[in-house]
Amino acid sequence: MSNPRLSGPSSPRSQPPLRDLLDRHLVIVTGKGGTGKTSVAAALGLRAAARGLRVCVVETGLDEHVPRLVAPDSTPGTPLRPGLESLRIDPYEALAEYLTLQLGVPGLATRVLRNEGFRKLLDAAPGWRELVTLGKVWHLREQGEFDLLLVDAPATGHGLTFLDVPRVVGSAVRAGPLRRHAGWVEEMVRDPQNTVLLPVALAEELPARETAELVTRLREDVGVPVDRVVANAVASPPFPESVADLDVRLGRIDLPASDTRPSSRTLAGCAAHLRSRYELNRAYLEHLREWTALPTIELPLLPEGVTGPADLDLLGRRLLGEAT
Amino acid sequence: MSRAHSPQPAGAARAQAPGASPEAGPEALLRDRRIVVTVGSGGVGKTTLAAAIALSAAREGRRALVITIDPAKRLADALGLGALSGEPRALPADRLAEMGVPAGGGLEAMMLDMKRTFDDLVRRFSPDPAAQERIFANPIYQHVSDALAGSAEYSAMEKVFELSQREDLDLIVLDTPPSKHALDFLEAPERLVGLLDSRVVQVLLHPAFAGARFGFRVFQRGVQQVLRVIERVSGLGFLEDLSEFLLAFEAMSEGFRERARQVEALLFGPQTAFVLAAGPARESVAHATRFLTRLEETGADVAGLVLNRMRTWPSSEPLPEGEPDPAARADLAEALANDANRTGDAPAAGDFDAEAAADAALTLAYGYASMVRRDERETAPLRDRAQRAGCFVRRVAELPRDVHDLEGLDRVAAYVFAGDPERVSDEERAR
Repeated sequence: MSNPRLSGPSSPRSQPPLRDLLDRHLVIVTGKGGTGKTSVAAALGLRAAARGLRVCVVETGLDEHVPRLVAPDSTPGTPLRPGLESLRIDPYEALAEYLTLQLGVPGLATRVLRNEGFRKLLDAAPGWRELVTLGKVWHLREQGEFDLLLVDAPATGHGLTFLDVPRVVGSAVRAGPLRRHAGWVEEMVRDPQNTVLLPVALAEELPARETAELVTRLREDVGVPVDRVVANAVASPPFPESVADLDVRLGRIDLPASDTRPSSRTLAGCAAHLRSRYELNRAYLEHLREWTALPTIELPLLPEGVTGPADLDLLGRRLLGEAT
Repeated sequence: MSRAHSPQPAGAARAQAPGASPEAGPEALLRDRRIVVTVGSGGVGKTTLAAAIALSAAREGRRALVITIDPAKRLADALGLGALSGEPRALPADRLAEMGVPAGGGLEAMMLDMKRTFDDLVRRFSPDPAAQERIFANPIYQHVSDALAGSAEYSAMEKVFELSQREDLDLIVLDTPPSKHALDFLEAPERLVGLLDSRVVQVLLHPAFAGARFGFRVFQRGVQQVLRVIERVSGLGFLEDLSEFLLAFEAMSEGFRERARQVEALLFGPQTAFVLAAGPARESVAHATRFLTRLEETGADVAGLVLNRMRTWPSSEPLPEGEPDPAARADLAEALANDANRTGDAPAAGDFDAEAAADAALTLAYGYASMVRRDERETAPLRDRAQRAGCFVRRVAELPRDVHDLEGLDRVAAYVFAGDPERVSDEERAR
């Protein structure tokens, strides 16, 4: 491997073997929209439950995706699989729950939340959604019903905004329970023993750069633990090594289409396209490794996308380095 | 959340316009509009699309400007945005000529600097320097404008309005921040105005409040409850900061309120069109479908749908189905073997396995054909939905390399504006 004396911050360091990803209480899966982080969270949930852990996949988006992905035929309100549940956190509901707990007066929170002025204040106020969402996660952890929480973080902007809110609120609010609670949430998010952030990227320019920035900032100022990144949807070699220049060869011959076969030109077009995509992925995979200086877990591009539990199972095994 | 005074759905308005074609093509955007907004979830190519639209307008001889949010580095370079800049930069004449922009056409680009724009807003609408300083010093403002999510939308809208005042611009193309809550950025101005108008906030704005801890007893019960709840959870300090913040804000609220109204009129007026970008992934299609509905509900004029990254068959030949025919493999293997003999381009003489090569070529093509079919199938409901709404629908093929450069912009522009997808695919083939 590399000479340790030469390894700067951007070159891979020799590292101790990676800790098992599921060996914590909280895994926060983050990534730009379209990187497939929901599938990653669901896949991990599936494998964790198969290992006998009690798992909850927590969704934070407007819609619920996990039940449909994991168990398309499950009845709402029942576990998706033995040991596996999913939950979508609605910020308004989470806020109502929180206020009820704080006020100790049933109904008051609901009345207050129904107040039009308060709704408008909430609509305009940034940050509280992230905070109550993380607060709810904290609460779930405290209740101890699950061994593992897998949070599918919001795709908005940087994953950091989401995780940095407790700190920001902590500094904007001078005293009182809110400040204390924000502190608890912040502690949870930064706990290196029990929490890890799992960035999901694609091996393409924008997601790779953004992931690198995220990791840098995590290291430098936010302090949320991260120990590996996922490169999702990585194309596999389109043709075997022995005919590595297949697209070039096909481009040289001139065979018209027949009833049973596309023309050599069309075949060459397909081969060239798939080869370019493959090479693009390889190049950015290298960049991702170099820029983040973290181990990168590759997940294969599934030609049809994630279509059901079998695909998730495959992805989950790859994520955890289990036999497939 | 429907808007209080929704105009009729834009699709309906277009259908009724006398003489209007049922589908105004994307070229009409460049000709007839002042503002084009690209919308969609993250990672679907909004930024590239926005840049491609602006470039195409410039090539038509218009003076265009594109506001991007988070461009890839090479796209930023291609647009002359090497350094981060909150100010528009015009591309120099020689660069424009290189890009095929005729005399008279212009292209400016800028990257939105969210923090700065919000500060500008405060500077503009503050009645006096003291009020301005109070806002800047307020801990809540510092966090609202800097660290917390949400201010991006206010700033984007503000910047567009400011630019719309410039008479030397024919077209402004706005790339929007990726938003989880579909229309955050459109609703932002209205939300802020709604906030300043609300009774709870009016109470917080009451000058007596800051000094009199229990002073709000005089107000109506609902408001009292809200304030007590906030106080109990956040401590009185927070309410004081909030009150101070809102007070300072109130001082500039008239200007702000007026501005929000103007922005709204601009975005929902006839000079603005929205273009929805989506990708073929299932999640993206679902998101775009909901987005389209929401946009229509708000009265936005959704002119088109651009499907990015569609895996596309490289010729006009029919897509093969099922398994490769063994007989069809034979003549391909023969042709490959002949080629290897002719060129001597084999790993080593006699080492080239033409059978295996033919096999691999057919397998990958059949595999690719099923991906092409899958993307068509998955996007069909969205395309239908958009067409029914009177949108133009264009596909942009998944490009062999990253599109974040000028060449990429060219190709995206060709797919969107060439109008004839077959022509594009012929060009593709010729490459």
